[in-house]
Amino acid sequence: MTIPETPLKSITAAALVAAGGLAVAPAMAEEYYAGKSIEMVVPFGEGGAAYVAAKFLEPFLEEHLPGNPQVNVNTRPGGGSILGANWFEQNAEPDGETILFTTSSTSNPFVLGMEAVEYDLAAMRPAFSLPFGAVIYVSPSTGIETPADLHSPNMPLIYGGIAAAASDLPVLLAFELLELDLQTVLGFDGRGPARLAFERGETNIDFQFTPAYMSQVVDMVEAGSAVPIMSGGAVGDDGTLSARDPAFPDYPSVYEVYEELNGEAPSGVEWDAFQAIGATTFNFGLTAYLPKGTPDEVMEVFEEAIAAINDDPDYQSKSEEAVGGYDLLPASTVADALGASLQPSDDVRDYLRDLLSNKYDVEL
Amino acid sequence: MFENIVSALDLLFQPVRLLALFVGMLAGMIFGMLPGLGGVAAVSILLPFIYLMDGYAGLAMLLGAISVIYTADTITSVLLGAPGSPASAPTAIEGHALAKQGKASLALGVGFLASMVGGLFGALILSVAIPVAGPLVLALGTPELFMFALVGLCFAASMVGKDLAVGLAAACFGILLGVVGAAPAAANYRFIFGQSYLMDGLSLPIVALGLFAVAELIGMVAAGGGIAGKPTPLGKWSDSFCEFWRHRWLVCRASVIGIFGGFVPAVGASASTWIAYGHALSSTKDKRNFGKGEIRGVASAEGANNATIISDLVPTMLFSVPGGPAAAIFLGALFSFGFYPGPRMVSESPDLMYMIVWSVALASVLGAAICFAVTPYIARLTRVNFALIAAPLLLIMVAGAYQGTRTFGDILALLALGILGWLMKNAGVPRAPVLVGFVLATPMEQYFWLTTQIHGFTWLTRPGVLIIASLIVIPLVLNVVRRLRQRWSAGHDEPQPQTAADGGEIASHDSSVVLVMVLLMVAVFGYALVEMLGFRPNARLMPSLGIVPGLLLSLYLLGRQLVRMRRQGAVANLASRKELPVLGGILLYGIAMWLIGFNLATPLLLAWLLIGCARMRWNSALLYGLAVYAVAQGMFAMMRSTPPQGVLLNLPMPW
Repeated sequence: MTIPETPLKSITAAALVAAGGLAVAPAMAEEYYAGKSIEMVVPFGEGGAAYVAAKFLEPFLEEHLPGNPQVNVNTRPGGGSILGANWFEQNAEPDGETILFTTSSTSNPFVLGMEAVEYDLAAMRPAFSLPFGAVIYVSPSTGIETPADLHSPNMPLIYGGIAAAASDLPVLLAFELLELDLQTVLGFDGRGPARLAFERGETNIDFQFTPAYMSQVVDMVEAGSAVPIMSGGAVGDDGTLSARDPAFPDYPSVYEVYEELNGEAPSGVEWDAFQAIGATTFNFGLTAYLPKGTPDEVMEVFEEAIAAINDDPDYQSKSEEAVGGYDLLPASTVADALGASLQPSDDVRDYLRDLLSNKYDVEL
Repeated sequence: MFENIVSALDLLFQPVRLLALFVGMLAGMIFGMLPGLGGVAAVSILLPFIYLMDGYAGLAMLLGAISVIYTADTITSVLLGAPGSPASAPTAIEGHALAKQGKASLALGVGFLASMVGGLFGALILSVAIPVAGPLVLALGTPELFMFALVGLCFAASMVGKDLAVGLAAACFGILLGVVGAAPAAANYRFIFGQSYLMDGLSLPIVALGLFAVAELIGMVAAGGGIAGKPTPLGKWSDSFCEFWRHRWLVCRASVIGIFGGFVPAVGASASTWIAYGHALSSTKDKRNFGKGEIRGVASAEGANNATIISDLVPTMLFSVPGGPAAAIFLGALFSFGFYPGPRMVSESPDLMYMIVWSVALASVLGAAICFAVTPYIARLTRVNFALIAAPLLLIMVAGAYQGTRTFGDILALLALGILGWLMKNAGVPRAPVLVGFVLATPMEQYFWLTTQIHGFTWLTRPGVLIIASLIVIPLVLNVVRRLRQRWSAGHDEPQPQTAADGGEIASHDSSVVLVMVLLMVAVFGYALVEMLGFRPNARLMPSLGIVPGLLLSLYLLGRQLVRMRRQGAVANLASRKELPVLGGILLYGIAMWLIGFNLATPLLLAWLLIGCARMRWNSALLYGLAVYAVAQGMFAMMRSTPPQGVLLNLPMPW
């Protein structure tokens, strides 16, 4: 399997628009970070995917942010990422020197309005995102070879996950949207142990985010012990999660699979819910948030630095292996779409809360 | 393969990398020796520095630390009786008892040698097994993982001591501590009292630090004088070599058990150490010395824990699923250097694999040698007035605990558990079962629900489950057979050794503390029972396993204590009264830290400890205090965190 180096068309377009806007602005922030340092708060433990991605980005940010600040990645684990995000809400000053770098584990509790959440993600200013695509694959013993077989497996489908309201949510919503008949076993420690259970044959349908898929599952696919079925998809020109994941152009997106199975494009509250949660999980998977009230000057500094990192050949070659070869999305691309995903309609929110409390017994 | 082994040696034997390995070993040894801190603290302190080097040197540094942790913590476990981690609790119990008998050198020597053998076994397994270990790790499904945790808990029960009721109640309490936080099988947070701090449950380092280290520290500051009331002679090393040689096969078997524990992600060192200890217990004919200073207990535990922490790297490198917390940090480091663990790594970078093996082997041997060399000096420290050592020690514990989530909750949890540990110690309630119950509650509950959801009840017939279960059943059967045979040959008046559960131990302790402790347990278990009834059905099973027997046992203990106190006539015996000021001082330090922050509260603590407790002269106290303060600030700076800030007032630091 090859990973294309061409970024999403839409992103390129957006970046061009943004760059155009910047070109007119005076180069005011030449050395904004000279002599300063940035604390990058990762609300998970060392070694997790978010930590790995933060460490991967650290040297590129140091090199390309004006004034070459020292970037310190600090982990603040606890409360399924809620503790670190709450800390950030209470302590971070809007001066661009503290960044919250996190995943859907932080945004889902916010979208669902869970009790422990004290942070207001929608009021924060996203500085950039790194897509965090995902591939759903099955065991060959299920007899499933194409999406069309999903409704007629040889054996009952068993999915292993962590917790319904965390990073499993978009995949569970995809299963819901596609009306798959499967047994969900929740309570694994992480996606790694869940994948081990798949390898042992205890479960037979699984998904992994791009970095883990690249390093662990690709070999299984080559050895014939895993069959990739679909990717979560990426936000396309229409602003919805309908495009193929640029890291996996050969795999259909959930959107396409729905079309194939049902003969029409997905719609309705099930789709809206998948679209909202899926977009924050996959497309804006790892997002760097700046505190509310961060001045535009800082946003522009990041806008330029992100463009420069994307053009850095060193980044392009290293990111393929480490984080799936995606380009970083600048704030101009991210802000509006992410804001919309973080504040879904009441219908979608009610649907999510109903589904979680009735089907997955989640206390909200 | 052979050429890879040699070229890997070439990779490692470059001055910078060897130096990195030694620096890592040094950090690992220091952190191993500091009570309560262990692998996780050492590796996370080193983490920022590894990025200053090339990948091989950075990894060598981490491996150096990982390989010696369980060798060096033998020193503190034996000399202080405070284990660095749950996996060293057997060493602390047996080894410290030996030290009190004047056989410290025997316990230390056997401990070092067993650790070394465990480390070498681990290295051997890494080199031989990694290419073939995949199927073995995959053969261990969730039912096997569940069974493994269960076996660990059963063997830990052998540690509950002579007073069975007290020991079991302690284990139940450990389970209760372990179920705090999110339930694995139902979306239910348990016992979090609306605090997001408790959502992920209590962290292991903080529980170990609080229960053991803080409690020991209070007692020793209050006692004044040195760590060991009277100078403890180390004794001769030569005895320990003989003793080690006598038990060489036990050490090898314990190492194999430890390696097996390392293959099992998430259960790891705690369970396998207890299983090895249980194995030592069941394979020893004369069991009377267990709990009172049995060298076989030290040998088995040390062999197993070092083997585990190294074979934890097997699932880490094969499946990128870390076997333990230190391995998890190592995994993060591998990623950061652009190595992607998995079956492919084994074939693509064999040099890296063997460099890891060499690092581990070299560090294990050198670590043991260095431990032999430094022990006499450390033993001398045990005669220095403890208040002088307590000052830096307490600050290190605060810094170590604060690393957990960097919220004030860490400090609060540390102090609350410290008080609890102090109460338990003075009430004669063993703390090791609490720790084991705490550690194993989570994997047991998680794997139980996963197992029954995935496999229904067919899991009971899986061969792996049966093999692991036989670890419990076979020694039990052998024991019964042996006892029956003994009885048959010796007639029926055979005295029953070691099972005299008359609770003699608890009576000799401070009776009012015992009463407070027992009342506290009744209250806690009673409250937990009421709270538990409100949980969702799937979130209830594991807590009820701790709460129901815990409540019954603590009610029984309460009745027994009341009867005993009435019979003895004495209403209150406040032998531990002289420790109360120290307890109060440390509590005040916590409150002061909350109000005025670490930077202001710490000088006050230092003044109290150095001038008030250790009676140092003003100028020397000032000098020493400044040095300790600087080191504490340096630790926070090294961990790239700011010390806890006060809610009222905060002293800004010039840096």
